Amino acid sequence: MASSRDDFIIAIRSAFLKKSTQQKFSLLTLVSISIIIIVLSNFNFKAVKYLKIGISEIVYRSSFIVSIPENFIKNSFETIIDYTTFYEKYKNNELELESLKSNYVSNEITQYENKELKELINDYVSSSDKILAKIIVDHDSPFLKSIIINKGSKDEIKIGTNIYDQSYLVGRVIEVNYKTSRVLLLSDLNSNVPVTIAPQNIQAIVTGSGEKHGQIKYFQSGISEEIKDESIVYTSGTGAIFKSGVPIGKLQSFADESLNRYKVKFYSDFSQLKYVFAEIVTKTEIIQVDTNTDNNDINPLDAKLKILEDELSIIEESNKKFLAENENLKNQINDLNYKVLNLNNEISSQNQTINQFNLDTAELEFLRLNLNHGHKCRKSFLNNKGFEIGSAEYKNCVLNKGKIDD
Amino acid sequence: MTSLKHKGSLLKFYVWLPILVLYISVLNEFDLNYLNLKYFSFNFPFILIFFFTLKDFKYFDYFLVFIAGLFNDTVIGLPLGISSLSFLLICISTAYIRNITIRPNPLKDWFYFLFVISLINSLNYSLLTLFFSYNLILMSYLVNTFFTFLFYIIFVSLFKYYLKGLND
Repeated sequence: MASSRDDFIIAIRSAFLKKSTQQKFSLLTLVSISIIIIVLSNFNFKAVKYLKIGISEIVYRSSFIVSIPENFIKNSFETIIDYTTFYEKYKNNELELESLKSNYVSNEITQYENKELKELINDYVSSSDKILAKIIVDHDSPFLKSIIINKGSKDEIKIGTNIYDQSYLVGRVIEVNYKTSRVLLLSDLNSNVPVTIAPQNIQAIVTGSGEKHGQIKYFQSGISEEIKDESIVYTSGTGAIFKSGVPIGKLQSFADESLNRYKVKFYSDFSQLKYVFAEIVTKTEIIQVDTNTDNNDINPLDAKLKILEDELSIIEESNKKFLAENENLKNQINDLNYKVLNLNNEISSQNQTINQFNLDTAELEFLRLNLNHGHKCRKSFLNNKGFEIGSAEYKNCVLNKGKIDD
Repeated sequence: MTSLKHKGSLLKFYVWLPILVLYISVLNEFDLNYLNLKYFSFNFPFILIFFFTLKDFKYFDYFLVFIAGLFNDTVIGLPLGISSLSFLLICISTAYIRNITIRPNPLKDWFYFLFVISLINSLNYSLLTLFFSYNLILMSYLVNTFFTFLFYIIFVSLFKYYLKGLND
């Protein structure tokens, strides 16, 4: 028994201390260094932190290059699948686009309103600037769900920076290097996001499940009946870790509904991400323009006088305007009267012309009848019954076409 | 392979190939995860390190294994030193089994490998959850251990071809 224990000790000692010809360090040394590094990184020791940043800068780039062949094969495979389902996707997209177009306008209005209201309630305006970042490492690890982006502290990325795929939340930055950052995805087990479930307006927390979906946790007991499938989940902004109102996904109940557990189907497919947007938030304080501060030194009587003076000047100004308007109206009336007079003159002249025309027409008719029947009415040797030319009887006779009344 | 010995640079590349593959695998996280099988993954660096340290392959430097561990931690996002410790523990266990074994048996090695990776994954899980407050899925670790164990025998046969080529 004692000899077997001795053998074990000898074997262990040999394993730890014995160096082969090619080995530069014994295993004991390296294990000790590893343990020291682990302990120091647990206490956030600065040297380890800088060592990690240094290694990260090299490793992330190297990892990106090394992953090129594998990514190429993976992407080719996905492209082939995309082509096979191309038409079906196109039709679905077309329908979705139509629906989105109609929603877009109202959303834009809401955004403006929201911005205005936020400006009213906050003492600062947060203006955000989204920068495009490329994903350089995306190893779908079974343990931790994270991605590496090619933006770091150089591009003003900070720990906690929100990361988006279009307008959907993807995760937040948990580690920042000079030119690279690590983003913890919403699907990671360590991710917790305060959310609002709409339209029920229920507050909850979405945690990652380590898979493609999230889980709803910590919502108030007794309200689980109100939660329905397809409810929209968006960030509530509680805790100020995530911006409020950012869509995350849709709610789906698990197959076993008795458990009252709900999963969140993320809008964004994290395995398909190639580029993301990092939101750089800058807070600008609003300068409060307090009009009262300028008038603090003026006594109340002067202030009243000033108000009255202002009122007077306003009244004078309006009086001037009324007078000018009055003058203008008078001129307009004169113009109109002149126009009426001219029109009356024109009418009388036209009446005269009409009358003259009527007289001329009657005279012409008489002359025509006179030519035809004048001999019947004229007094002559052979016609004793006739009348003197120019007399009224003669005229009547001619107009009666030569008929002489007895 | 005789011709290889005359081609110095090619031979150098050939002898350093396991270390190169180790670095590629830690940088690339080669574990066939994109097959989208639930919990499916396996740890290729474990197989590689176990085999070559067991065979006492002289170009498989412990220091380079240690560095590969640091790279692995950076890529995965684990606290620095965890993977290095895991890799070195494999090296220690293989050095131990090498010292106590007179007649090597592949089947015994295989089951010894299962014992070693189970121990290391348990240690990993404990360290991460207890000291670093990570939320991890235990099932992922169990499945990972199981598939690493299964794939060991496949990769070992490939590595044997490699060693045969070198000896020839």
